[in-house]
Amino acid sequence: MTDVSVPDLGDFADVPVIEIHVAPGDVVSNEDPLVTLESDKATMDIPSPAAGTVRELRVKVGDLVSRGSVILSLDTEGAEVEPPPLTDQQEPPTLDAADPVEAAREPAARSIAEAPVAGATAGAGEVGAAAGASAAAGAGAGAEALADFDGVHASPGVRRLARELGLDLTALSGTGPKGRITKEDVIAGVRGPVAAPPAAAGIPQVPAQDFSKFGPVEVRPLTRIQRLSGPALHRSWLNVPHVTHDDEADITDLDAYRRELDTAAKAEGYRVTLLAFLLKASVSALREFPKFNSSLTPEKDALIYKGYYHLGVAVDTPDGLVVPVIRDVDRKGVTELSKELGVTSARAREGKLGLADLQGACFTISSLGGIGGTSFTPIVNAPEVAILGVVRSRMAPVWDGEAFVPRLMLPLSLSYDHRVIDGALAARFARYLCGVLEDIRRLVL
Amino acid sequence: MENQTAEVLVLGAGPGGYTAAFRAADLGKKVVLVDREPALGGVCLNVGCIPSKALLHAARVIAETREMSENGVSFGPPEIDLGRLRAWKDGVVGRLTGGLATLARQRKVTTIRGYGRFTSPHELAVELAEGGAVSVSFEHAIIAAGSEAITLPFIPASDPRVIDSTGALEVEEVPSRLLVIGGGIIGLEMATVYHELGAQITVVELLDQLIPGADRDVVAPLAKRVARLYENVFLRTRVTGVEARPDGLAVSFDGAKAPATDTFDRILVAVGRRPNGSLIGAERAGVAVDPSGFIPVSKQMRTSVPHIFAIGDVVGQPMLAHKAMHEAKVAAEVIAGKNSFFDARAIPSVAYTDPEVAWAGVTENEARAAGVAYGKGVFPWAASGRSLTLGRSEGMTKVLFDEATGRVIGCGITGPSAGDLIAEAVLAIEMGADAADIGLTIHPHPTLSETVAMAAEAFEGTITDLYLPRRRETAR
Repeated sequence: MTDVSVPDLGDFADVPVIEIHVAPGDVVSNEDPLVTLESDKATMDIPSPAAGTVRELRVKVGDLVSRGSVILSLDTEGAEVEPPPLTDQQEPPTLDAADPVEAAREPAARSIAEAPVAGATAGAGEVGAAAGASAAAGAGAGAEALADFDGVHASPGVRRLARELGLDLTALSGTGPKGRITKEDVIAGVRGPVAAPPAAAGIPQVPAQDFSKFGPVEVRPLTRIQRLSGPALHRSWLNVPHVTHDDEADITDLDAYRRELDTAAKAEGYRVTLLAFLLKASVSALREFPKFNSSLTPEKDALIYKGYYHLGVAVDTPDGLVVPVIRDVDRKGVTELSKELGVTSARAREGKLGLADLQGACFTISSLGGIGGTSFTPIVNAPEVAILGVVRSRMAPVWDGEAFVPRLMLPLSLSYDHRVIDGALAARFARYLCGVLEDIRRLVL
Repeated sequence: MENQTAEVLVLGAGPGGYTAAFRAADLGKKVVLVDREPALGGVCLNVGCIPSKALLHAARVIAETREMSENGVSFGPPEIDLGRLRAWKDGVVGRLTGGLATLARQRKVTTIRGYGRFTSPHELAVELAEGGAVSVSFEHAIIAAGSEAITLPFIPASDPRVIDSTGALEVEEVPSRLLVIGGGIIGLEMATVYHELGAQITVVELLDQLIPGADRDVVAPLAKRVARLYENVFLRTRVTGVEARPDGLAVSFDGAKAPATDTFDRILVAVGRRPNGSLIGAERAGVAVDPSGFIPVSKQMRTSVPHIFAIGDVVGQPMLAHKAMHEAKVAAEVIAGKNSFFDARAIPSVAYTDPEVAWAGVTENEARAAGVAYGKGVFPWAASGRSLTLGRSEGMTKVLFDEATGRVIGCGITGPSAGDLIAEAVLAIEMGADAADIGLTIHPHPTLSETVAMAAEAFEGTITDLYLPRRRETAR
């Protein structure tokens, strides 16, 4: 039986396990993904170092791991296992050590405790000894500290909640009476140190409610994506004076053309969606109305016009909304964009986008066309100055001067920063955009 | 019975074992519970906590009726029918153990009656009580194998006149002279029962205090009362030999006040309990067991083998059911993937003697030894209206506080119902309450629970039911 641990995958520590792909008893092949970790920058799969049978999982979703943390134990069917990168932590603890209890300490707790404890007690004589001793022994002492929550002013229920959420209470200060750590402190602690909201003075807080008075409740921490996107959306909503302008484009002809392309594309293994055309049409409109491709300077006394066309595309993922950026849309054709959109949205859904994939947009498109709706108010992704929302197109009777004819109409909702763009300009932008979508031959002009 | 498979095997069905089994089952695990006794509940329910409390209640009734005769209500001497007393006690036990069997059935926990020993890290062999054997293979195991009474080598164990706590609870007869070896909780509880049933009691204790784990001042009211009621209490005394004679058990003592020898009708040996860690084949599972039979565990109750856990008496002192039950939940929850820890800040101890003695958290002895800066508030029950109306005045409540934070760190209580009163102090310790929190909490009057608040007020200097000039709080 072999312990599989987190290999050296670069400069990270205390990253959460976000997915576990195997269960005890599962037979895995060499390189099969075992668990997925998510750092601030990217997600990564830990592959199996050998073929074998999973014997016991040592981590669960939400555990924080570092290089050397044991993930699971594997029966390797006698197969050779690659030498582990950090053998001192891989070896089973020796029981003739002074304290067998220390040696038996569970690995998951160990990795959680390691960093904060080492940091908190640095300088104490004991730590010097621990640092000099084997890594396993030092880690054991860390887990002990977390287990004790010694001297922490917190009730048993709060201590249990902290354990469930993997939070070290010794590093938290309480807001309750006499400095007591409350449940709310723990929940706030899990969210991470949020910069004190500077606008707090001007914005009345929503009073806290004890929902458990009304029925059963459960607290679940937000996903990392939600924790990151929430403050950004709030910032935009509070800073940007929003107006949303609605219009409709007749995409009957465009859709027929798109279907032609899509049929051909399917044979090649990709799809052509309306979004690719929306990207191209938007670039055309941005060129025509450069204010839409600008940002306010921080002093808010000038506009910065951009000479490039990177467009954000909002993608719905199981963990929340992400907005990957398609670069240089002006230099790409519909075919190339279609292929790129397919790959990008798949990576977004798998949580595999890196930071670089999310930066640099000039303008954003948020499409709910796959779901439905008639219109909505997208929030401008500041410091961009406008965002285009589209919902589901529908067949509608349109008066052509003589009769009602069935046309495929696409509702568009354009939100913009009224400090930069006024209503008339927005209406012109929207009209122009609709014009391009209605006659895509204009795209080549 | 066919061989079994379990996601969680629990070895031992005492309070720890059945709690672990039930919690694991409630968390969705397939559980097999193995115990060698016919009824679930272990020592606690069958031959410990519960039957002793039934007999202690009888003792209390006898004592109270006798004492009340001085206050104008006489019942005459009690007529004791040991058979009916035993049947009532057994009925209480049967009701509780039967309830456990039902709870196990409702949770679809498989129970196997037999002696279980590990044969590998994933297998337990059970010698069935009904004959034959069965093997249980498991993913996780929880060892809750408990403890057994320590016997003394120089005492003829085969003599029916030598009994342990289990034998004492059978109350086969009431000896005219009973020697209790061991002045701890178990010995003194049994002494209380047999004294009220009519035996003359001699208690012999090796150390210089009854109930050595508690502070001397907390034990003092009990020590004073038994010194008056019992034939003899010999402290700092060793029993050096026992000779079984037809007319009695001749016991030789080594102690300042004890006679060289004396003869008793029966001897109760209550010198402690030994963990059963060495009796279950733990070595074949790879589980480390220390020389005294304890199984070392982490705060998540994990043994040296990561998928095997241990709880209760077998992992260490104090050997108390309520400790085992909490450890049980931790083990079951960790197995089910929860990040639970055993981090109780106080485990209360209770002697259900007359008067009861209860303590929790840090004792004064421990605080002194550890150099903790502590303060204390003491309230003598002689000033408690409720205590006096119960015909008792010897009790006391002592609460210890951290001088720096004012928080409760320990408590000792002596008097009727001290075991029930101690719970408030345990909650105060867990919640980090300080003297003001307790003193400002309105306690009902007149109750014994007031004494906890009074002790807190005594520490704060806000008490009005006592006059404590030095502690009196001046204008703030």
